[in-house]
Amino acid sequence: MHVTSTLTGWLIIVGCYLVGEFLVLVTDLPLPGALIGLLLLLGGLLLRQRPPETVGRGAQPLLSHMSVLFVPAVIGVGLFWAEVRENALGIALALVATTIVALGATAWFAQRLLIKAKRPD
Amino acid sequence: MLRAELAIKQIISRFSDVVSSTASVNGVLWLAVTLAFYAVALKIFRASKGHPLVHPLSITTLAVAAVMWFADISAAQYREFALLLHWLLGPATVALAVPMYNQWQNIRQLGAPLILSVMVGGALAPLLAWGVIYLTNAPMAIQMTMLVKSITSPLAMETGAAIGGIPALAAVFVILTGIVGALAAPLTYRLLNVTMPDAQGVALGAVCHAVGTSKALQMGEVQGALATVGLGLNGILTAVVLPVIL
Repeated sequence: MHVTSTLTGWLIIVGCYLVGEFLVLVTDLPLPGALIGLLLLLGGLLLRQRPPETVGRGAQPLLSHMSVLFVPAVIGVGLFWAEVRENALGIALALVATTIVALGATAWFAQRLLIKAKRPD
Repeated sequence: MLRAELAIKQIISRFSDVVSSTASVNGVLWLAVTLAFYAVALKIFRASKGHPLVHPLSITTLAVAAVMWFADISAAQYREFALLLHWLLGPATVALAVPMYNQWQNIRQLGAPLILSVMVGGALAPLLAWGVIYLTNAPMAIQMTMLVKSITSPLAMETGAAIGGIPALAAVFVILTGIVGALAAPLTYRLLNVTMPDAQGVALGAVCHAVGTSKALQMGEVQGALATVGLGLNGILTAVVLPVIL
């Protein structure tokens, strides 16, 4: 039973993805097909208003092992190595310094906003 | 009518490329190599209690790259052999709808201030990074790639491609951003006196996507839940806004 429902959930997810891709190709939307698929699935789940057991089971392996799916992409950086080395300083600054600043500023701002939201007076 | 037919043909031909490259000897071999290293990397990651420096992606990639070097396989060849893994990123992105749905109550309860917080992070992180990389005169493709560094990799790669960036580079920028944020979060929060769990989580999710979310989960349940919201909302907002305005 477990296996069938995981498989069904998985097929629903792949189905949403393919429909998303199809819609993007047909309408020339400038958005990723996978994003349309995500919105379709989210919309479907919200309409049904029941805990998404089947889809949840299908989603689990994809979500918990997502890291391995990026390996081909990261390996592909080898193709752009020259460009990366040429701009190494800027890239390093952008990735390290601005990430820390943005994280701190966002958290500080969120704290001010959310504390107000939790005490509506 | 004709458009629909063309679209279906395109989707089928992509899919059959995936099947044929995976069913080849090299496809099976490199898939097995990648998955074996990934299994080991997961063990190491768990043994270190999820330290962001030993993220399974970095270990697996380094190990695969080493084998490629010995076997004299180019990056382009590997990518063709491992097409299945790359294709699965699509369904994996769609699967993000499930945690978003599970957090829907949270999103509705905190409402506008939550969405506003995510938007601040979602705008600040890419704009600051872009500013720095613009000042160093980096090529346009790298500038565009910087803009997607704070969203979850599958969306970042597709959005990066849509606005003229480099998808492979996007994946690397995204992971490094996540690792930096996860390492820096505890000290940054202490210095700025950010003690509210909700705020800690939202910022980690919005600025540092999945790597930040797993750090947030370590900090606590509330942080983890809010980070999932930040990751999902910012991913969607960025993926919708960037292609439209650029």
